[in-house]
Amino acid sequence: MTAVEAENLTILYEGKPALSDVTFRLDEGKTLLLLGPNGAGKTTLLKTIACFHREYRGKLLVFGRNPCDARYLIGYVPQSSSLNERVPLTALEVVAMGGLYRRGFVHFKIPEEILRKAEEVLTFVGLGHVKNRLFRELSGGQKQRVLLARALMSDPKLLLLDEPLSALDPSARAEVTNVLSKIKSEKNVTMIITTHDINPLLEIGDLVMLINKRLIAFGKPEEVLTDGVIKSVYGPLAKVIPVNGKLYCITGDFHIHRGRGGGL
Amino acid sequence: MIPEFILRAILASIMVSVLLGLLSPLINTKGLAFLTHALFHALLLGAVLGMILALLFNSYALVTLVALIVTIVIVLIIAQLEKLGFTPDSAVGIVASFVAGLTVLGFGILYKVMASRPYFPLTENILSYLTGDIFLITLNDLAVLILGGALIFFVLLFLYRDFLYLSFDPEGLESYGGNARAYLMILYVLVGAIGALIVQTVGLITLQVVAVLPGAIALMVSSDLRKVLAVSLLLTLTVQLSSVVLAYFTAIPPSGIATIMLGVIYGALLFRR
Repeated sequence: MTAVEAENLTILYEGKPALSDVTFRLDEGKTLLLLGPNGAGKTTLLKTIACFHREYRGKLLVFGRNPCDARYLIGYVPQSSSLNERVPLTALEVVAMGGLYRRGFVHFKIPEEILRKAEEVLTFVGLGHVKNRLFRELSGGQKQRVLLARALMSDPKLLLLDEPLSALDPSARAEVTNVLSKIKSEKNVTMIITTHDINPLLEIGDLVMLINKRLIAFGKPEEVLTDGVIKSVYGPLAKVIPVNGKLYCITGDFHIHRGRGGGL
Repeated sequence: MIPEFILRAILASIMVSVLLGLLSPLINTKGLAFLTHALFHALLLGAVLGMILALLFNSYALVTLVALIVTIVIVLIIAQLEKLGFTPDSAVGIVASFVAGLTVLGFGILYKVMASRPYFPLTENILSYLTGDIFLITLNDLAVLILGGALIFFVLLFLYRDFLYLSFDPEGLESYGGNARAYLMILYVLVGAIGALIVQTVGLITLQVVAVLPGAIALMVSSDLRKVLAVSLLLTLTVQLSSVVLAYFTAIPPSGIATIMLGVIYGALLFRR
């Protein structure tokens, strides 16, 4: 079955195109890596599929339905930096949020069955031991895994992940990538993952889409990740290097974190 | 024997403390401090319009009622502007500027109406709106405060977790099937309604401080939600009750004392850090 289908999709902001003429098809169970420089339209595409943004032309279907009608099939994982961490919620409470809103309007107390499921899902992502710790006190990788667990609470058929590796150190990236790999192999969930650095995710990506305000390339990693395609978006210094049968993509487009005093 | 007006003041303080103690951490975590600033303007406009109507129809009960309605309408306009894409600060700024202008116009009309009517009791009423005077609260005011306060308290309590999730990740709440807009509207209405209910006891001038500081202090001393709520409630209750007692002996408006006490505690905690 087709999980996501877009035909001549143009996404607009206040009437102006932010991403133009995108056509692709993603089959159920596959993982799509969405690559592109800052402002290319990656998050815009993700948010349109998630029905957060509704101004578009062309065809966009999620499991054969309008994205807003398919919302219950979608789990959206935002960047953890977009959350308000002043709110004193524990990891378990954050995860439980993902299962609360399918029923009822008032949630004075989290039902037992949702708490049990939240614990199970937290254990699945390897964080059963931090369930009572405050979300804001967790490491970057742990926060991202908690958000993944929250998305899994609703048993989604499609997971949309916005820069899940952004701002993480290499070991945290490995933790998150391992969980994504586990989700792919054990839950057969279709995933669309936006990223600046595609290399850690290439192991789990079935398809790669490169965009820069429009569709540049879409296909299997070895078809899309070629010197010519990468250089057309990232400039002449970008390149693709095959290492031991695997591709390594150097785009020079990373999120750099500066420490105190502006040092790297 | 405790005089009746002191008993009324103590009961009013307890109700005010319960409402503010519960609301204040939310104001801090959701970042609604600027909204409470808009409340100041909305309540003043509502009170002025209410006073004009009270004089015209010879019914002082209209003041609180009109202030409540005007405040709720204004916070709903702010929520609607946010829905249209304005940032919360911009929405408050736009609305507050219009409301401030209308309030000045309203005062002009009020002075004209006052000149044609017996206005002395109403002048006191205006002052108690600005500085708050818990000792002037009537039995009728107290009944409105307690009944209205109890209703708001239970709505706030039962939706507290939803408001926390709304503050944490509104987009996430929406994507998991919640109605973020409805929760935001309800929260804003509750903030407006609490402001309108307690303004006569707390006073417009100090409303923002007593609504923001207890939660800010509680969040400084603990990060556990239950403890935050407990500290906020206990702190508000202690400050409100002690200010009533001190005001009784010093004849200084209790809201001023409460504000200074909260400011000192907050300053001391900041200094310790």
